[in-house]
Amino acid sequence: MSENFNIDDVSNLASIELSEDEKAKLQKDLQIILEHVEALKNVDIKDEKIDIHPLSKVLELRKDESKESLKHEDAMMNSPETKDGHFVVPPSIE
Amino acid sequence: MNLKATIGMETHVELDTESKMFCSCEVIESEEPNISVCPTCLGLPGALPVPNKTAIEYIVMLSLGTNCNITNEGMFHRKNYFYPDLPKNYQISQFDFPVGINGSLEIVLDEELHSVEIERVHMEEDTGKSVHEGSGRIDSAISTLLDFNRSGIPLVEVVTKPVISTSKMAVAYIEELRQLVIELGISKGKLEKGNLRFDANISVADENSNELGTKVEIKNMNSLKSLEKAIDYEIMRQSKQVEKGESVIQETRHWDENKQVTISMRTKEGSADYRYFSDPDLPNMIIDQEFIKNSKKKIQNLPTDKRKTLKESGLSLSDSNYLDKGEKWLYDLYLSTVENTKDSKSTFNFLTGELQGQMRKAEIDKLPEWVDSEKLANLINLFETNEVSFTSAKDILAKLLGEDIDPKSYASEKNLIQSSDDEEIRALVTSVVKDNQDIVERLEDPDDKLVGFLVGQVMKSSEIKVNPGTVKEVLLKELFG
Repeated sequence: MSENFNIDDVSNLASIELSEDEKAKLQKDLQIILEHVEALKNVDIKDEKIDIHPLSKVLELRKDESKESLKHEDAMMNSPETKDGHFVVPPSIE
Repeated sequence: MNLKATIGMETHVELDTESKMFCSCEVIESEEPNISVCPTCLGLPGALPVPNKTAIEYIVMLSLGTNCNITNEGMFHRKNYFYPDLPKNYQISQFDFPVGINGSLEIVLDEELHSVEIERVHMEEDTGKSVHEGSGRIDSAISTLLDFNRSGIPLVEVVTKPVISTSKMAVAYIEELRQLVIELGISKGKLEKGNLRFDANISVADENSNELGTKVEIKNMNSLKSLEKAIDYEIMRQSKQVEKGESVIQETRHWDENKQVTISMRTKEGSADYRYFSDPDLPNMIIDQEFIKNSKKKIQNLPTDKRKTLKESGLSLSDSNYLDKGEKWLYDLYLSTVENTKDSKSTFNFLTGELQGQMRKAEIDKLPEWVDSEKLANLINLFETNEVSFTSAKDILAKLLGEDIDPKSYASEKNLIQSSDDEEIRALVTSVVKDNQDIVERLEDPDDKLVGFLVGQVMKSSEIKVNPGTVKEVLLKELFG
């Protein structure tokens, strides 16, 4: 895994632009994290109960009842640009 | 080299709940944008999701309806990607602990039953809607308008294993899944409203190979017709490439309804690119036996059960499937009518052909209250026993749809009852044969067209309705022995 690690791919997926200096620093830091993960793989856990979530609390479910939403004006108030009740953003084509 | 296609389907089912998946905003159908939104479904910082119990019940029902094993201790993950219709930059979804796994769905193709293996059934949330503004062309848009009324509506994704081999089979699978969610009462199942949205993963390989070819994902198919066409086109496109020795690129393609082709959208992300991780806002979801039992209680008649009942009444598999996929009133009407006619085929043909045809013509979508299964069965029996001709039966039905009549009394009143009295008919035949000796002399064999002419003469000479079948029988006996 660690040899395939590419800082450019990760910054691209995270939409974060990095300078060459930042890339070099993060490449090093993230590489260390990946080595820690590699080390964890060597721990023998076959007799351990699997905790699949960091919290031990159990999910509470909500009754399916609708409640009043935000007022339209309030929902739109922080938007830099609106049109016909929509939020306007730069053209985004997949 | 003979090639085979392999298809896997991913279907998103919009659940019919009152409120959204992780917030209490009402699920609405409205043209007015951004009127059912809150900090949670707008993805504002600090908002916390709280899952909808009914949505979880519905996904358990769908998992049971597709014969899946239920994951008792599941969880939600964040699927990370950037797109303006998903403002918190991740979709709450499920990754390695989906609610349902390893199921199957029985489908009907022609006269055969097939089982489509289901890989997983998982819970997620819908995104907002984007409208691209500009010259009308998607690639020359000047801005994008966003509406978040749809954001956060509960969605269930049903993923099949790569086991589908043709476009027709894919269509039959979607029809079956659609019927299932309707029967379960968990989704409106309207394709035109986007309640069901599907993508197809298609690959082509040598039919003798155990390995699948490179997978291409097809999106943007809005109807069953476009699904069928898009799959057929894509199989053809990939087959040509494989035959030429070229490699197929793993990518996502978009079905262009106007050009009737698939167009490359982007290189497909692997699941690692979505950087899934467990959502720290949502602890483990326990679905215990009690919860499963209560969800199961809400399941009544599954499409497979309905099909079985129809088949037991004597219908073929494809006719059973037709009624199974049709409207509920027609299914109920068929079952109560066939009880009185005991003739499955003619009842099916009359109800799905003549009755539905006349209703369409009269532009009525509901039967008048006086038209019940007993009257319809009486009418079917009248023409099945040759008491009235099929043409008369059609006229009686038209009358019945307009006013409350008793089919048999009406037939007698209007002199539509056919005589099958042999003595009476024999006398008429003898008289017609005597008066038409020139024709009789020209007759060569029982299949001669002139036989029809003589039958017509007998019918005409009678003051009462006679059964043309009986007339022909008596006439042939008289002429050819």
